[in-house]
Amino acid sequence: MAETRINCLYDNCPIPLLKAMQQLKKMSVGDTLVIETDHSCAMVNFIEWTQKNSIPCEIVEVDNGEWEIILRKVK
Amino acid sequence: MLNNYFKEPWSYTTGAVVLAFLNTMLFIMVDKPWQITTGFTYWAAWIYQGLGGSPELWPYFAESSSRAQALTQGFFSNDLSLMDFGIIVGALLAVLLASQFKFKKIKSFKQFSAALLGGIIMGYGTRIAMGCNIGAFFSSIPSLSLGGWVFAVSAFLGAWVGGKVLIKYLL
Repeated sequence: MAETRINCLYDNCPIPLLKAMQQLKKMSVGDTLVIETDHSCAMVNFIEWTQKNSIPCEIVEVDNGEWEIILRKVK
Repeated sequence: MLNNYFKEPWSYTTGAVVLAFLNTMLFIMVDKPWQITTGFTYWAAWIYQGLGGSPELWPYFAESSSRAQALTQGFFSNDLSLMDFGIIVGALLAVLLASQFKFKKIKSFKQFSAALLGGIIMGYGTRIAMGCNIGAFFSSIPSLSLGGWVFAVSAFLGAWVGGKVLIKYLL
């Protein structure tokens, strides 16, 4: 049940999603991945991608224009 | 509710309908559909003129009456230039209404050089393609121009290659 954080601040789309995909491959089932981003378009492509792949996804706006996207590896 | 309206991303359908409506209004009012990069070209040409250069002698400007006329105008009197200011002011307004305004830093030298190189390639590309994804695609297809479809296919192929380059070198 490890938690990994990746810093995607100042990265433009689709880099946050691509980095998350790469990182998820290295993690084991049950682990949590937190993506820090300040790119609002990331919300759209993360929601679309996690829904398509049935990955639990939660988004928290931690500061003005800054979000944490929390994913859990389920399979 | 108002908060959701400004903060949450709009759906692709809402965006498409709003853009189509606004572009139609623009076409009715100024007789030109929306375009971006030609305005930027004028900005650069006016700056160059201000520094003492003579871009009006270049074939690109000299051989087209509308471009030659644009060089006699200025930042706030040329319609394409005003459209570009509109984008910047509109984007600022949108981000302020969503309270998401933020200064973004440069992450690394790699990001900086990729952005600079990308900007130069895009700027050069828009001049030889006669526009960007707005002028040469979004406004071109509703104007029944075959060029818009050629642009669409080329942009799709370019984006595919760009995606491969991004994954291989920039991630």
